Amino acid sequence: MKTGNALRSLLPVLVILALIAAVPLFSPSNRFLSLAISAGTNVIALYGLSVLFGQTGILSMGHAALVGVGAYAAAILARDFGVGFWTALPVAALASAVFAMIVGIPSLRVGGHHFVIMTFAFGQLLAIVLTNGGDYTGAATGLDIAGPVTLFGADMSDLTRYYLMVVAFVTAAAVASWAIIHSSYGRTLRAIRENEKLAASLGINVGRHKIGAFVVSGVFAGISGVLLAYFLGHISPSQFSSFPSIYLALMVMIGGARLIEGPLAGGILVAFLPEVLNLDPVQSRIVYGVCLIAVIMLLPDGLIGGIVRALRVAFSGKPKQEAERDAAPSEARQ
Amino acid sequence: MSPILAISGLGKQFGGVTALAGVDLAVEEGEILGVVGPNGSGKTTLFNVVTGVHKPSGGTVLFRGRDITGLAPHAISRAGIGYTFQQAMAFAGLGVLENVQIAGEHRRAGGAANPWPTPQALLDFVGLSALGGEKAGVLPFGSLRLLGLALALATRPSLLLLDEPAAGLNDRETSALVGLVRQLPGHGITVCVIDHDMKLMQMLCRRLAVLDFGSKIADGPTEKVLADPKVLDVYLGGDL
Repeated sequence: MKTGNALRSLLPVLVILALIAAVPLFSPSNRFLSLAISAGTNVIALYGLSVLFGQTGILSMGHAALVGVGAYAAAILARDFGVGFWTALPVAALASAVFAMIVGIPSLRVGGHHFVIMTFAFGQLLAIVLTNGGDYTGAATGLDIAGPVTLFGADMSDLTRYYLMVVAFVTAAAVASWAIIHSSYGRTLRAIRENEKLAASLGINVGRHKIGAFVVSGVFAGISGVLLAYFLGHISPSQFSSFPSIYLALMVMIGGARLIEGPLAGGILVAFLPEVLNLDPVQSRIVYGVCLIAVIMLLPDGLIGGIVRALRVAFSGKPKQEAERDAAPSEARQ
Repeated sequence: MSPILAISGLGKQFGGVTALAGVDLAVEEGEILGVVGPNGSGKTTLFNVVTGVHKPSGGTVLFRGRDITGLAPHAISRAGIGYTFQQAMAFAGLGVLENVQIAGEHRRAGGAANPWPTPQALLDFVGLSALGGEKAGVLPFGSLRLLGLALALATRPSLLLLDEPAAGLNDRETSALVGLVRQLPGHGITVCVIDHDMKLMQMLCRRLAVLDFGSKIADGPTEKVLADPKVLDVYLGGDL
C-alpha cells in the first residue's frame, strides 16, 4: 500500500512531462523551444536543489557554480581531449560532485545561515577563477563548445530533438529525486532537516549526510551544466555567478522544494513569466522579488504546496487540521 | 560483574565555570539508576558529556569496557547507548510512524535484541499505535515524551539515558511512563535517569547518586541516600 501511495505521487509529474514532451506536435516557435530547453536544464539542477533544500533543509546560494563546473568540464573535455557529450556527462557530473564535496566539507561545519554565505562566496570565487583562468578557461569571454550531440547515430542538435532529450533528462531527474524522497535515505535527510541533535542521537552521522546531500545535488547540477553547455555552444563565467545562483534558489522556493512538482513548476514559471507578461529584464527582476516575498510570506511550501492545500480545502473543507499541522513544527522548534 | 558504564574523573568546564568536577559513577548492568541534584548541579552536563554532545575536559567513560570518551553523538548511539532529551524531542514535521522508522534505521548491526522488532511494535509498547499516521508536531506533550522514548528504544540500546523523562507530565502520564521504564531492565536494557522529582525517583530507582556543584556527594540505596544529612542539606534544604 505504501509503495502504491508513493507511486501515485509520481504520477502527476509524469503526466505533465508527457504533455510537455508532446509540445513539438503543435509546431512551437524556435524561441519557445529555446526558452523551454534552458528552463529544462534549470529544472534538472532544481531537482538536485530540492534534495538539498527541500529534504535536508540546507540552502545553497552558489548552486549555479556547480552547474558551471559541469559546463566547463564538458567544454574543456571536448577541447582538450576530444571527448563528446555522452562521455562528458558522467565525468562532468563527477566533477561537480567533487567540487560540491570540496565546498561542502568546510562549509557544512558551520550551520544554517553561515552555510548560505559560504556557498555564495564559493560561487563568486569560482566566477573569479574562471574569469582569471587565462586561455585555459577562456577568461571573461568563456569557452566555445562545438560538436554535435548524437544519440544512436542520430544528430540531436536540431532544436526539437534537443528539446525532447532535455525533457527525457528532466524526467530522469524527477524520478531520481522522487526515488530519493521515498527511500530510507530521504527519511534520513528529512530527519536532519527536522532536528539535527535528535538525528545524531539516533545514530545518524549528520555531518556526513549533509555533505552527501550536497554532493548528490552536485551530480544533478553537473548534468544540467553539460546539457546547458551543449545547447548554448558557448559558456562564460557570468552565467554561473551570484545572480543565476539566486535565481535557482528563487525558482525552487517559488515552485516548492518539498514536493515533486515544485522544481518543475518553479523552473517553468520563472522562465516563461517574463515572456508571458512581456517584461523587460529589470521589470522581471522586480516581479521575481515580489513573487519571492509573497511565496515566503504566504506559501511556505511554494506555489505547488499552496495549490495542493487550496484544493484540499476546496474539496474536503477541512483547512483547520492542515493549518495546525503546519503551525506545530515551528512551535516545537523553539 | 563489571559495570555497563564506568565514568571516572569526568570533568567539564565551560570557560571558567566548572560544570563537572571529576565525577566517578558506575552504572550496573540491569539496574535503574537515578541521578539527582538541584538545578545547575551538572546532571544534564553529565549526560551531554557521556553522549558526546559536549567533549569532556578530562576523565574517561567506559561502556562495557570500551573507551567511548569524546566520541561523536551518532557513534555513541551506535555503540548501544540510547538517550532522550529534556525537551521532548521528535521530528515534528514528520509522521509518528516515520519518526520511529528513522530511529531504527541507523542502529548498529546486531544491536541488542528487544521485544519490539518493528516500529509498529514500539508504538504499541508506548501506547501510541493509534497515532501512527499523525504528524509528530500535533501530538500533545505527554505523547511526545512517549514518542521520544520509542525513538530511543528503536536504536536498540543496552543502556538508556533518560533526561527528566517526566518533566511536564501530569500524574497519570507519569505513572504510565514509570510503568514502561520499569519493564526495560527485564528486556535487557539498563536505565540511568536524571530528574529532580524525588517522587518519581523513589518510584523508579533502588539506587541514587546525588550531584551538587558538579561533584558526586552521595551514591547508594535510595532510602539511605534520602536519609543522608548531607543530601538533605544541600539538595532538599534539610526537609523531607
